[in-house]
Amino acid sequence: MHRTAVCVLFAALLAAPAGCRKPVAAVYAPSVFVVPAAIPDDPLDEAWDAAPVHVATLLTQDMVEPRSMSLTTEKVRVCALTDGREIAFRLQWADGTNDDRAVPARFADACAVQLPAKVEPSLPAPQMGEPGRPVEIVYWNAAWQATVDGRGDTIRDLYPNASVDHYPFEARSLESGSPEQIEMAARYAPARALNNAMAGPRTTPVQDLTAEGPGTLSPRPAAGSTGRGRRTADGWAVVIRRKLPQGFSAQNETQVAFAVWEGGHQEVGARKMRTAWIPLAVQEKP
Amino acid sequence: MSYWYPENRPKRQFAAVFDINKCIACQTCTLACKTTWTSGKGQEYMLWNNVETKPYGFYPLAWDVKLLNMLGAQVWRGDEYSGRTIFEAAPAGERVVGWRPEDRDYAYPNVGEDDCAGRVDRGAIMQSPHWSWFFYLARICNHCTYPACLASCPRAATYKRQEDGIVLLDQGRCRGYRECTKACPYKKVFYNPMTGTSEKCIACFPKIEQGLQPQCFVNCIGKIRLAGWISTADKAQADNPIDYLVHIKKVALPLFPQFGLEPNVYYIPPVHAPAVFLRQMFGPRAEAAIRTYRAATEDLDLAGLLGLFGSTDRVVPHWARKDDWVLAADDNGKEILRVPLREPVYVREAFDAKYQVARVNCP
Repeated sequence: MHRTAVCVLFAALLAAPAGCRKPVAAVYAPSVFVVPAAIPDDPLDEAWDAAPVHVATLLTQDMVEPRSMSLTTEKVRVCALTDGREIAFRLQWADGTNDDRAVPARFADACAVQLPAKVEPSLPAPQMGEPGRPVEIVYWNAAWQATVDGRGDTIRDLYPNASVDHYPFEARSLESGSPEQIEMAARYAPARALNNAMAGPRTTPVQDLTAEGPGTLSPRPAAGSTGRGRRTADGWAVVIRRKLPQGFSAQNETQVAFAVWEGGHQEVGARKMRTAWIPLAVQEKP
Repeated sequence: MSYWYPENRPKRQFAAVFDINKCIACQTCTLACKTTWTSGKGQEYMLWNNVETKPYGFYPLAWDVKLLNMLGAQVWRGDEYSGRTIFEAAPAGERVVGWRPEDRDYAYPNVGEDDCAGRVDRGAIMQSPHWSWFFYLARICNHCTYPACLASCPRAATYKRQEDGIVLLDQGRCRGYRECTKACPYKKVFYNPMTGTSEKCIACFPKIEQGLQPQCFVNCIGKIRLAGWISTADKAQADNPIDYLVHIKKVALPLFPQFGLEPNVYYIPPVHAPAVFLRQMFGPRAEAAIRTYRAATEDLDLAGLLGLFGSTDRVVPHWARKDDWVLAADDNGKEILRVPLREPVYVREAFDAKYQVARVNCP
């Protein structure tokens, strides 16, 4: 399968080099081919042009409730680079609305990359893995990106006209930053006190997660993935960068899956567009 | 009736009775809750306890009428609901039918306050039910037996405690999907944009664990609330105050029983509002409940039990009337307090001869 994939890739490259930022070529890579190269952090860096583009077809998440019953985002364009230590995916998709505020009824645009926890021929279920057969997920979110990019992480950053009389943990009698003040503030933010990664403070736009089936998503601490998203003329370009899967090589392929959430359509959690497993192969030099 | 999970009743179920007739909408309960639990960042708009004026008050805006409209016709056959619950009416791919409030829906917690239904024309006289009417509806999480928030959570971050039936949202597990804010028909789950998680009324469980009533109960100026434990109807105990009011006297009713959640806050309906409105809000027993309530002047047990409301900060598992006294007891039967069946009346002369001043009728 690997040899076939490489041959098809070659034919595709000869026919029309498929650079990520160049005009759409007629032929795309049938798999996600990882190109050995230095990894740029910027999703719009020209270095991404060295990697072939795979256009992944997105499907509605119609397996478990709550289901997405209508197709919102149809395609995600993917290319991948590896520096031998890490692997990075650049995802691009069309999205007419920039949804980067997560407030009571507004959801942020987001995307994710999923790999099996083990590189082996037999794959876990593409829908978030299955019991005893976990998947590893790196999730990027536009609201977190906005915060990292300098929007700030206060109520006035979300609601510029907000007026707040008083927070008890910011009383003048409490020295700001003192242990007593920090302890009291934690009492009013229980999710933060429990180290829930959702609660911030926000220093990265991505989360490392693992799952063994729908509804089992949990943190994967110290996995060290990074990411960066940029708004483009017609949507998003996002780089998600994680450790190279252990055992993954030109001779030992694995599979990858992607998901995209359109915040403007209230997509969150299980309400998403997702792909099936897609072969992930290293592009060998001719 | 269908539910996402099999029936799993807790060992004990927290419950409450609110006497609407005594509420003056002073919002002391709202502030007691607000200052205790929701003074943090991202909680500014949250009112785990609120008091709204019916028919035109809502928090969030139109919370009930919007869902009633989505649910369609709600048919009762006698005392039995034969229409669809919010679980049975769920569209394809959903667990519950519901809607998610926008920011602006939370922006007017006092909308409709003291607005009455109908005009007050010249020459109008007081009749009951009133031609023009409103009443105050105090609301907290109902800690439902079949919680829609729990059913809707795709990652089981919401759970119902076995020891007391209180419904809690695990702040370590929640990922802020807000399925619960959409599913809860009473709109008593709120998203905190600062923590990225949803939060809700916790029935002041640290107090409940110590046998104490929640903050909104003990701070109630009108003494409209009583917290306790409810049994299923077939196991109702006359010495359990909640059982007595809900199952035996049937004077307290669930809010929108047709939604299908078996809410555990029960209301004594207002005596002056039109029956058709009360039937929609509290089910077909609303008029009978009002008749029973009106007859409390002759029903010494019922009148006595109503006197326990707001008389103690302790949860009251047992009660009894002994002649002119009403007794409250704890789980072990030990007396918590006793209140007189009727408060003594003191009559003072209008003119104080000693100080040569006229007395006025205020404290």
